[in-house]
Amino acid sequence: MSGFVLSVENLTRRFGGLVAVNDVSFNLRKGDLLSIIGPNGAGKTTMFNLVTGQYPPSAGRVIFNGADISGLRPHARAKLGLGRTFQISKTLTTLTTLENAMVGAFLKRNNLSEAADYAMHVLDMVGLGARAGIKAGTLTLSERRRLEIARALALDCSVLLLDEVMAGLNQKEVESVIDLVRKLNGEGLTIMVIEHNLKVVRAFQSRVIVLDFGRLIADGSPDHVLSDPHVVEAYLGRQHA
Amino acid sequence: MNKTDIQAMPAGLAGAGAGGTARPKVTTFATELGRIAAIGLFFAVCLFLFRSDPFILNMMAYTFLFAALSTSWNIIGGFGGQFSLGHGVFFAIGAYTTANLYFHWQVSPWLSLIPGMILASIVAVAVSWPTFRLKGPFFAIATLALNEVAFVLATYFDSVTGGPRGMLLPFKAGLVNMVFTSRLPYAIIMVGFLLISLVVAAYVLRGRLGYYLQAVHLDEDAARAAGIDVLKVKLTGMAISAALTGIGGALFAMYLRFVDPPTVLNIQDIGVKFLLIALIGGVGTLYGPLLGALLIIPLESYLRATLGGTIPGINLLILGGLLVLFALFMRRGIFGALQGAWERYRGARS
Repeated sequence: MSGFVLSVENLTRRFGGLVAVNDVSFNLRKGDLLSIIGPNGAGKTTMFNLVTGQYPPSAGRVIFNGADISGLRPHARAKLGLGRTFQISKTLTTLTTLENAMVGAFLKRNNLSEAADYAMHVLDMVGLGARAGIKAGTLTLSERRRLEIARALALDCSVLLLDEVMAGLNQKEVESVIDLVRKLNGEGLTIMVIEHNLKVVRAFQSRVIVLDFGRLIADGSPDHVLSDPHVVEAYLGRQHA
Repeated sequence: MNKTDIQAMPAGLAGAGAGGTARPKVTTFATELGRIAAIGLFFAVCLFLFRSDPFILNMMAYTFLFAALSTSWNIIGGFGGQFSLGHGVFFAIGAYTTANLYFHWQVSPWLSLIPGMILASIVAVAVSWPTFRLKGPFFAIATLALNEVAFVLATYFDSVTGGPRGMLLPFKAGLVNMVFTSRLPYAIIMVGFLLISLVVAAYVLRGRLGYYLQAVHLDEDAARAAGIDVLKVKLTGMAISAALTGIGGALFAMYLRFVDPPTVLNIQDIGVKFLLIALIGGVGTLYGPLLGALLIIPLESYLRATLGGTIPGINLLILGGLLVLFALFMRRGIFGALQGAWERYRGARS
């Protein structure tokens, strides 16, 4: 077989007359760090939702570890090892930070103290160890993003999908999240990120795909992709290209 | 009472230990068992002190019964956030199952608790399967309708329910028949039921299912992304909650020795009472419903006894007003307010 962890094959999603994702295909190998960029409304989040199962595809397939998962519901995909964060953080605000991470940790562990220990371990990984005991509703935006990552990591996911985890963060916070993503990727985790900030994409120095009006218009290294006239046109308009 | 489940580590201790930061304590089922045992002991002393006062014993029996029923409702309504107004139906199923088995075949009510529980769970799952697609108030309204439908059916099918005339259960005193001449044994049975409900609720809350129910309550999308089968978790919570509610119905039937639709399918006195008590005591907390019942049931019987004759319905007016006040000023109920005060106190000290 292909040796790909995740393959997206001719994936299409229509909402009425709008084609949000149009015949997109790409593959991920184990340990890849893939950035998805594109203007607003390009279909990046829809793409994520198709991969994690929030929507069924109108056409095409999602292959995960060699198996077609296109028909599975989100929780079943999470069980197989697809972890994700949401663009608008879904923090369980009345639970503590630790309990939030435990919700993820219970997927592979039934025992309370084992789940709590593992949750603590992932909180330490994302740098939230010192905040474990407080109500998650009092966390800052960047801490909430880290918490979402921790909850996904607690699932023991093999592929992590990050939906604009840097949005709204200040420069320092962005750098620390970049370091975190790199560290996790360095430990062998396959990661797919949606990113608006091109500086971040350059900083990752790894493969980028570009979506525009639902179509995949470029695929390659950041330097190559960001100098592609089609990409420049999608971002800045025709006269700049 | 120490209700802070997880205590923040002082900053100075962060990073202690080889594996990383020391983990805050997580309340375990074993801890809750200790607390529940203490509660049981306290009520046992109360029962002993008032063992020969039928008025107090009657009030205690009702208080414990409704504390248990509200604790059961809280499993799906509080932890899981599914505001069911249809729990009166599961209560009625328990009551009618026990009443029928006792009336027609002289089956000991102790035994008929089991079919009552199973039947209540099955009906709960069957009606929740479609209604769990509805969210928030829409779910609540659908379950309210369920209670009304059950009322009509119970009135119509008089071969099973005795119809509007109801079923009067024969007085044959004895432990096997769960019929006693004194009120003390009933109060003891109700305490037992309360302790069982608390243990079950604690077991749920302090394990995977409790965390999953809370996650589903707070954010279904986040729950799904964490690998949680949302519908299955809701149905499991509902089945456990309904089974306990069915026991409550059976005990109520044997205490009153009379079952009719206006009594067991009464929206104000049964169906809504469970959640009213939980809301006032502290919805979603383990001991909130118990606190709520300790306040509401004695207050209600006092109002009924003193003002019920002169101004009919005054008890409902006052309860309604109380609920509005709690909704406005104490959203997390008495228990939540106490918890908040305790956290502020701890925060001020550290």
